[in-house]
Amino acid sequence: MTTKEKLKQILVEDLNLEDITPEEIGDDEPLFGEGLGLDSLDAVELVVLVQKHFGVEIKDMEEGRPALQSVTTLANFIDNNRE
Amino acid sequence: MNRLTCPVAIQGLGCVGGFGCGIDDFCHALVAGSCAPTLSSEQHADGLAYGPAYLAQTDTLTDFVAKRSLRRLDHYARMALLGGCLALEDAGIAGEQREKVGVMVASGYGASTTTFSFLDSVLDDGDHCASPTNFSNSVHNVAAAYLSMQLGMLGPNLTISQFEMSMSSALCNAVCWLQQGRVDTVLVGGVDEHCPVLNYCYQRYFATVDGGQTSAKIEPFVFDRQTAIPGEGAGFLVLSADPDKARYGMIDGVDVGHMRQPTWSADDLLLVGADGHCNCGQWYESIADHHQNHRLASCTPVYGSQPTGQAFDLIAAALMINDQRLYGHTTGHTTMADSDTIDSVTSLKVAADGQYGAVHMVKGI
Amino acid sequence: MPTRVPVTGIGCLCAAGNTLDEAVASMLSGQRHGKPPARFTTTHVDRFPVFCIEDEFEQVSDVEMLRTTQLGLAAAVQAVRQSGWDLDQLRELRVGVCMGTTVGSAMNNERFYSEYRNGHTPDMGPINCFLNSNPAAAISRHFGLNGPCQTIVNACSSGTDAIGLASSWLQAGLCDVVLAGGADELCRTTYNGFASLQISAPVLSRPFDETRCGLNLGEGAAVLVLESQRVQQQRQMRAKGYVIGYVLGYGSGTDGWHLTAPHPDGRGLKQALAEAFTTSGVEKEQLAFINCHGTGTRDNDRVESKVLGEVLAQIPFHSTKGYTGHTLGAAGAIEAAFTLAFLRDGIIPASAGFSQMDPELSVIPVTEPTTIVKEFALSESLAFGGNNAALILARGEAGV
Repeated sequence: MTTKEKLKQILVEDLNLEDITPEEIGDDEPLFGEGLGLDSLDAVELVVLVQKHFGVEIKDMEEGRPALQSVTTLANFIDNNRE
Repeated sequence: MNRLTCPVAIQGLGCVGGFGCGIDDFCHALVAGSCAPTLSSEQHADGLAYGPAYLAQTDTLTDFVAKRSLRRLDHYARMALLGGCLALEDAGIAGEQREKVGVMVASGYGASTTTFSFLDSVLDDGDHCASPTNFSNSVHNVAAAYLSMQLGMLGPNLTISQFEMSMSSALCNAVCWLQQGRVDTVLVGGVDEHCPVLNYCYQRYFATVDGGQTSAKIEPFVFDRQTAIPGEGAGFLVLSADPDKARYGMIDGVDVGHMRQPTWSADDLLLVGADGHCNCGQWYESIADHHQNHRLASCTPVYGSQPTGQAFDLIAAALMINDQRLYGHTTGHTTMADSDTIDSVTSLKVAADGQYGAVHMVKGI
Repeated sequence: MPTRVPVTGIGCLCAAGNTLDEAVASMLSGQRHGKPPARFTTTHVDRFPVFCIEDEFEQVSDVEMLRTTQLGLAAAVQAVRQSGWDLDQLRELRVGVCMGTTVGSAMNNERFYSEYRNGHTPDMGPINCFLNSNPAAAISRHFGLNGPCQTIVNACSSGTDAIGLASSWLQAGLCDVVLAGGADELCRTTYNGFASLQISAPVLSRPFDETRCGLNLGEGAAVLVLESQRVQQQRQMRAKGYVIGYVLGYGSGTDGWHLTAPHPDGRGLKQALAEAFTTSGVEKEQLAFINCHGTGTRDNDRVESKVLGEVLAQIPFHSTKGYTGHTLGAAGAIEAAFTLAFLRDGIIPASAGFSQMDPELSVIPVTEPTTIVKEFALSESLAFGGNNAALILARGEAGV
């Protein structure tokens, strides 16, 4: 499973996006606001989920904001910071 | 009994529990006298068996709110939201009329499953993987928060946690708000959630009583034997300061205190929250002895033993007054002939330490 | 005509001091006792400073109970002592207890739960302790009181709500005296929780500052003895007790917006303020100062500043959380106690941690101890779940 696929699965399962399937999430769809409609609490939860599933730390929201734009940006961040 | 100068009207009722969902299901179970708890075949790894429990289903919540907006709500919040939706619907209070409605929630243990899920996140993956969603959903006021967010009730919003006294405390405050004119309408109710850890604690405390025999049903009027079966659910009432909105009668007295110096009173039917806990048995037994001239009933075999069980008694009392029918379990000498009426019901809940909460309800003023 | 509720005793313990007077003196001298947690270990890379009660505090009961409840009970004992009430007299009356908390109501004992989870047979001690620790019940039991007894669990506005509710019990004639306040201990669960929400600061908090980066947790308790006017006047005629101050008004409002983020326009806070002004009959121009919630998080201080600017412009304000940390369910009670003490003493401490105005907020808290002359003040609290609450308090006649 690619990082993007895994991320989509995490978004649906761990954030309980019950009305959408992983396949329906676009790679470049904005995660917050218009788009997937995630909010500030999801943002901090995602930070924990990325740590838990990929072992990649997003230190704070300063660092997190550019990464948390879309599945593509987050997958790139994860792949670039993985050991 | 602390009698109210201005009684408050009961405008709507809503509930969900082991008996089903809504007042029709509740009534049906009340007529039957009891319902069957869910049995568990599981046991804890230390060998202790989990006992039966009255568990609630909240599938119908999607009739009221969009599925997507429920994604963060755990079972505790869902039960409360469903109970609240049903009560508002029953009261006929539509979306645009809700802004000034106050919300008062009682809970003995709060969101117990999510409280432990948060600890799971820490124990499984370390402190840095603690789940912020679980943490923020484990605070007791989360049920009242979702009621305000999802249903647009922006009046005063308060959550009380006082174990068995939670519901009478909440009701006391709700009445206070109405009497002091803070709000014209209050949604007040109780919610408690069952979970494996609570079940385990229950078994640790009580399974050895009576040689480890788990009772098949709650026997409210057996005071010297442990027959309690835990339950969960939510029961809500819509109360109004406007007497014309009394669809189910009125609350005209609320009293809290200690059984050492009791000040509650009953003048017709006494509905006790005796739920099979023998550590409360002595108090209820003395009440039963002293009130032989009054009719005595209990509805606990319908909803199970839970800290905020009195919420269901208040709903049952309102239904009995409205339907002029005697529901639930009664003692031998309590009967109702066709010509009899139910003029008032006193709901009385006593905790093991003797603290009590009493609510007096009448047909009309 | 609004009913004033006399306050005749105050107990308070927090990181700034183990009594109200100690805490006030410490704050006026600008001391901040935040440091990494010592009572538990964590595996976080950052060690977020906290404000702990380090000295031994008075243990007034042998019953095993949560630290939260011990703190609440210690504050209640201080308050009753100051009020001059004889316990036998008090037991003749209807005396309520109304306490706010978060930790004191949560069954989150890690040791018990991890043993349970691992399939061991855990000791039931922690659960027994939890069942014995309902803060309101424990205080009522300790003194042998008979009256309404409630623990308010409105997250971070619990302490303010508890005092407001207690006042309404007195106004409604439900009881003669109420011990009202809040208590919370610092615990690993909340420490991890606030860290996970990324609102814990890795440095001492900087409420309202441009560089603010989160809150510091704290612990403590405060209890006020509130009396009905009738009881208090009878007592005064017998020359016992004096009035430290009054609760004049209380208001609360709900955001209905988000579980953890405040409404961007402060919807519920404005509603709480409006109700507090109406019930107290006080005009905003009469306020000497405002004790803000001022946690030091980006969101809280932004919204609070916006409302200050729109509704309460020109009134001196500060946050005392830079001295105490955020004590959650106790915060509103501790800050109400402080507010009454500041009114009594005619001086308020600087808002600790502030040095640089945030151009986005355009408000500046008091930056040095400031003399006040007016007799009314406001204390406000914001909470998870969108709960907001405000108290308007007044100086008493007695003075020091």
